[in-house]
Amino acid sequence: MESIIIAQMAVSGAFMGLVYALIAYGFQLTYATSKSINFGQGELVMVSAFFSLTLITVGLPYWLVVPGGLFFGAILGLFVERAGVRLALEQKSEGWILLTIIIGLFGFSAAENIWGRDDRPFPTPISSDSIQVFGVSITPLEISVAIGVLAVMGLIELFKRKTLLGKAFEAVSADRDAAELMGVSATRTIMLSYGLSGMVAAMAGILVSPITTVGPTMASALILKAFSVAVVAGLDSGFGVVLIGLFLGALESLASFYIGSGWREAPGLILLILALAVRPNGVFGKASIRKV
Amino acid sequence: MWKRLLLIRGSELVALALLASIPLAVDNSYVLGLLTLLAIYGILLIGLDVTVGYLGQVNLAQAAFLGLGAYAAGLSVSLLGFGIFGALGVSLLVGLVLGGLLAFPALRLEGPQFALATLSFSALTVTALNEWESLTGGAQGLHVNRPDFFGLDVNAQGFYWLCLILLALVWMAMRNLLSSQWGRAFEALRDSPIATDAMGVGTFRHKVAGFALGSALGGLAGGLYAFNFEYLQPQTYVYDLMVILLLGVVLGGRKSLWGAFVGASLIALLPNLLSNWLLFEVISALGLTVALAAGVRGLMKKTAKPFQAIAPIIAMGLLVAGGFMVENTENWRKAIFALMLFAVVVGLPEGLMGFASRFLARLFRIAPPALPAPAGLNTVLTAKAADGKALLELRNLKRYFGGVKAVDGVSMTVRAGHVHGLIGPNGSGKSTAVNVISGLYAPTAGEVLLHGKTLPQGSLFKVARVGVSRTFQNLQLFGELTALDNVMVALKGVYRSPLPLVLLGLAQGEEKRAQAESLALLELVGLKDQARKQARDLTYGAQRFLEIARALARKPDLLILDEPAAGLAHPDVNNLVEIIKRIHQRGITIVLIEHHMDVVSELCDAVTVLDGGQVIAEGTPDEVKRDPKVIEAYLGVVSEAEAPGAIPSPA
Repeated sequence: MESIIIAQMAVSGAFMGLVYALIAYGFQLTYATSKSINFGQGELVMVSAFFSLTLITVGLPYWLVVPGGLFFGAILGLFVERAGVRLALEQKSEGWILLTIIIGLFGFSAAENIWGRDDRPFPTPISSDSIQVFGVSITPLEISVAIGVLAVMGLIELFKRKTLLGKAFEAVSADRDAAELMGVSATRTIMLSYGLSGMVAAMAGILVSPITTVGPTMASALILKAFSVAVVAGLDSGFGVVLIGLFLGALESLASFYIGSGWREAPGLILLILALAVRPNGVFGKASIRKV
Repeated sequence: MWKRLLLIRGSELVALALLASIPLAVDNSYVLGLLTLLAIYGILLIGLDVTVGYLGQVNLAQAAFLGLGAYAAGLSVSLLGFGIFGALGVSLLVGLVLGGLLAFPALRLEGPQFALATLSFSALTVTALNEWESLTGGAQGLHVNRPDFFGLDVNAQGFYWLCLILLALVWMAMRNLLSSQWGRAFEALRDSPIATDAMGVGTFRHKVAGFALGSALGGLAGGLYAFNFEYLQPQTYVYDLMVILLLGVVLGGRKSLWGAFVGASLIALLPNLLSNWLLFEVISALGLTVALAAGVRGLMKKTAKPFQAIAPIIAMGLLVAGGFMVENTENWRKAIFALMLFAVVVGLPEGLMGFASRFLARLFRIAPPALPAPAGLNTVLTAKAADGKALLELRNLKRYFGGVKAVDGVSMTVRAGHVHGLIGPNGSGKSTAVNVISGLYAPTAGEVLLHGKTLPQGSLFKVARVGVSRTFQNLQLFGELTALDNVMVALKGVYRSPLPLVLLGLAQGEEKRAQAESLALLELVGLKDQARKQARDLTYGAQRFLEIARALARKPDLLILDEPAAGLAHPDVNNLVEIIKRIHQRGITIVLIEHHMDVVSELCDAVTVLDGGQVIAEGTPDEVKRDPKVIEAYLGVVSEAEAPGAIPSPA
């Protein structure tokens, strides 16, 4: 019986972990091109989810809500790049950390006032009746999360490898200066990466909201875990985030079961600090050589 | 001199006296509460400024340290029965120790990673305060009783004066510390960690010390906070408080005690500002005016990019317009902070005091304090024995990067008192060899000996400490420090005062001596007249010479110059040759990496030529120049065996 409970907790946690992995993947996209990430990404997820919820409440069908939400997320991502990141990158400073935090805070406050402070349910046509698989119950909703996460990541990877624009993306990631000399605009590529990252974040919001409900506090809950996943896996590790996401999701679910729900974030945070201390480039990341 | 002292110290005293006497004139508990909060925030922000301003890192943990200090003070009163000073000591200690512990893992981290580490620490702290209910009372909160002061009951006024006295003490101690070698080391570390280590200053100890110190002040402020409010809740110390604190530091102005004070007054007054609609509109209209004026001026003078000018105007405009549209500005508290902070970070990155202090210095014509006369060069760089014994030896040194054999079995000997040239085509392994010697890279195999003893491997700091000093091909100056400070921070053998004396301001003597010695070195490279200029404002040539002066401040046995002539104009190359000759006369052994053959021929006693990571020739400059292998490596002569028939042989 005990082992069934553990398996059940681990599996449901792992599905949540995939969402963290998706947000972490969004960090990787922008980190690859610009060595910067959006510290307000959690708020971006939350605001996109609220926006999608509004689309549902005005009566749009679900198959229109998803692209609408993704589009909105991409716009927000572009806004963050323009207002918070570009100037700092031009000045080669780390001002973007503070600026993205600030933009996130603004988003948080706006969401609180526009949509309210309470958590709201997020209706979805996908069923949440559980199916038994090897004694563990799984819902179609959870399966849709898994499919959605892997599909988005797969599509973006395919885009990066197969299209010319995607190759420009890879070129800027590999060597920004060389790419510029070959006529690839780094600024546009960074914009593209922020747009994609915003879209990925919106997708995460749409996928996770039916399970967790939508509310302003989901921002900080999600982002800390996404940070943990991204840093533990390594900010340039590609699919490493999926493995670490599954692992951390399961771990926090077990922690909240055995230690208490208030502690659910602790393992991820401790792992994050440890990873930074021991392997700053992550479990799957490559160590860089210092050059002078 | 006196005018400066009078104006600067005078204004501090006047401000202190004014603050202290307000409660005597105005009998209003609300005003008193605000003033107390102002003093507490002042201490907190001075602490935060150490990491944000001096270490240059985005620190998101200061709110957590405030909370930890507050709980530590509260619990040490209720559980351990400590008096007020005992409890405050505990808060200070908790901040110091936990800050030090957090600094260890955060040590190797820069920028985003550092911000993430501190962010996780904050989140963990709030979780722990919330969940450790048996100790903290959890979300219910914790009541704290303000202990009495040696049997006397401390009333609100007395407590305010206590906070004010502590603020004044912290102010003085930090002023002394930050204007000493410690403050310079903090800033050096921000501008170039690599050079900080290569100059033997040590990023490790200073980063830990700076962060622990800032956190300790956070803890102390927390203790005062606990006794002020007498009720604590974990939710107080979350993320938005952190953002407000950052707003305080950035808006007030980084690297400035007055900036921290201005920031503290601002954030103490903010809640009032928001609760009164008219006041809010007045302030935001004022903000818009400043943004407009600064923006237009910046655009006209072309000192600001369009975005820098326009974005703050939009942000402040939103603030004014928003005031008319929303019913209750209190609900939009966070958004308002966000807009204000955004406008400041983009439009006024140096903060209010950064701007004001330049303006005031010009208005009152405050001259910087006079510099002492340069010390004699003989006392700074004592002549070393140029006896021609082996000083530096490389034995079969190898360094591979993956499959690339950058240095592949190099052996060479540098004799004491020589200028030893290390030359070779691009990619021949010169820079890698130097980076291995100086400790930036650990060797893959082989040995490096100095005075016959093995050099430490893979640590710039340790190598610098045993007498090897270097310059960098790509300049690694401390850009925001002055030329003088760049040299002073690297100066060896002067700073001996222990930390307590520095905090008390009793280390002025060695500071003067350091200035005199550093000026002598600046004179040696011809930069004495530009001692007060920030390094980043010097011309390119001057920056190269400053690097040499800074490396000499280590008083090294071995000086490594990594392509010092790269990019120099011709007159500067001649200056460089003169400078190197002067250094040579002091008996300092030099390894010179250089491409200019005329420079090498003129200066070097011996030359080693590398190609493909191996030594292909050694000898005097003339011998080396005639060596066919060297000519081939540089000019790429095609041997006939490799290309038969390519060049038809004359009949």
